[in-house]
Amino acid sequence: MKKSPLVVQHLTKTFPPEKKGGNPFTAVDDISFELKEGQILGLLGPNGAGKSTTISMLLGTLSPTTGSIQYFGRNFARHKSQSLQHVTFASTYIKMPWRLTVWENLKVYGTLYNVQGQVFEHRMERFLKFFGVWDQRHKTMNMLSAGQITRIMLSKAFLPYPKIVLLDEPTASLDPDIAHEVRKFVKLQRQEHGVSILYTSHNMDEVTDVCDEVMFLKKGKIIAVDKPLNLARSVSTARMRLLVKDGLKRIRKFARAQNLPVAVKGREAVIEIDEQAIAQFLAKLAGENISYSQIAVDKPTLEDYFLQMSKDEL
Amino acid sequence: MKAHRIKALFLRHLYPLRRDFDLLSDMLYWPLVDTLLWGITSQWLAETSGQASVALAILMALLMWNIIWRAQSEVSRNLIDEIWNNNLVNLFSTPLMVREWLVSVMLLSFIKMGFTLVVITTVVVGMWQADILFFGWWLIPFIAAMITTGWWIGLISAGIILRYGPKMQTVVWTLPGALLPFSAVFFPLERFPQALQAISRVVPTTYIFETMRAVAAGGVIDWYSLTTSFAFNFLYLALAIWYFTRSMRHSVKLGLGRFN
Repeated sequence: MKKSPLVVQHLTKTFPPEKKGGNPFTAVDDISFELKEGQILGLLGPNGAGKSTTISMLLGTLSPTTGSIQYFGRNFARHKSQSLQHVTFASTYIKMPWRLTVWENLKVYGTLYNVQGQVFEHRMERFLKFFGVWDQRHKTMNMLSAGQITRIMLSKAFLPYPKIVLLDEPTASLDPDIAHEVRKFVKLQRQEHGVSILYTSHNMDEVTDVCDEVMFLKKGKIIAVDKPLNLARSVSTARMRLLVKDGLKRIRKFARAQNLPVAVKGREAVIEIDEQAIAQFLAKLAGENISYSQIAVDKPTLEDYFLQMSKDEL
Repeated sequence: MKAHRIKALFLRHLYPLRRDFDLLSDMLYWPLVDTLLWGITSQWLAETSGQASVALAILMALLMWNIIWRAQSEVSRNLIDEIWNNNLVNLFSTPLMVREWLVSVMLLSFIKMGFTLVVITTVVVGMWQADILFFGWWLIPFIAAMITTGWWIGLISAGIILRYGPKMQTVVWTLPGALLPFSAVFFPLERFPQALQAISRVVPTTYIFETMRAVAAGGVIDWYSLTTSFAFNFLYLALAIWYFTRSMRHSVKLGLGRFN
């Protein structure tokens, strides 16, 4: 069996108190996981769940309090430079020096990874053209839009033939069509080069589309790891939409009597109900003389799972 | 240590020189203003005092002070530039090692300082016929001492910024400034208040400036002063590297992302 290129064991990060007499804060609490070769693993969780802290530790820009990170079977703390030769990242929230042009910035990063000369030029031309920013290459970074910067950062991340890429909300500032291209690009890189990717996003449809598996973090702990659809299925509550012809007030009263959340918009009643209980509910509804002309059942999605898991945060 | 990573940092800090006036003004404009100001002042002082060596001592002090300034500025200012550009995480999430960063900024300071020095020297020699070669081969240890001093000041400033954040960025400009009077750059040490002379005696550059003034006035090289200066310099450089690396470790403990 092939060894996972990234193995994280019992990783914990506790920050010291900000003020004297305050309490230390544990942002990541004893998490263990593996990123398999060619896998796209989603890292989800509400704000403050520990996603960014985890990524920072995986990049070596934040040291763990306890636990270990192993890249390619080697201890990251001891072999940081060698490991990072094959690990890159892109984030919407990190910029590049604004005095340098796009091309100069990428040349600096290419040189850091020893990707130079024609290899650099061919690769950059390919990536920048793919992302539609080839014409911007001689502009300084301060002249680019947020979306353009994001695409440059992605080009940077895939420049040095990485084996692992950490993508922190790579589509956050992109238009839907460009975001679609990014997803296509990420999948292609995995398919062509077997790149393993750790992917964070707040777009649940995107995570469902791109990720093989999703790891859900909450208050620094991993609370679930599964395929996106399995996580969605674990939410038993579906949304049933009824276009009510007659008995809107009665349906609201009826649903509330059974402790079911109900919302009314115009003639439509939206009832949150366990999928298993729908048939029984409709049978009872018939007995109440309530007539409806349309019925639709929205199956639970990853977003529902996310909302359910994040509820305690609010 | 990989040469290509040092080259990358060279590119990172040399590319902006193509188009950035504020970087060029640091390297050329202010040193030229200083040179004109002190050049004319030194000529006037030499004429009124009747001692030609005063002018040479002041002009050499100016040259040497610029070496310290440039050497320290390249170390600490390059770090603050990465923070201003939100680039620290970008850099240190690559295979780049801290020691490679240190070597590259030290070498960069050498290159940029050389550039500034050529321009100032041309003006000093061209306008006032200052005989800077009067010191002969002794110029090499004098310059080496100044660069070393610049490096350790820069490393301490950079370490302070890494530890306490950009709110302390003023040390890039104030720390070398604090050393200026204690180094007895433009006046003899004996003119300094007695109580403060004790501090000056543990500042390595004091010995160099004192030696230069003595030689310019027709004296000889004082080996004890020169050795003391280098001993202090190497000790402070070692301590500054230690402090910088500890500050870097401290900063990574809190996360380099906090500078974004």
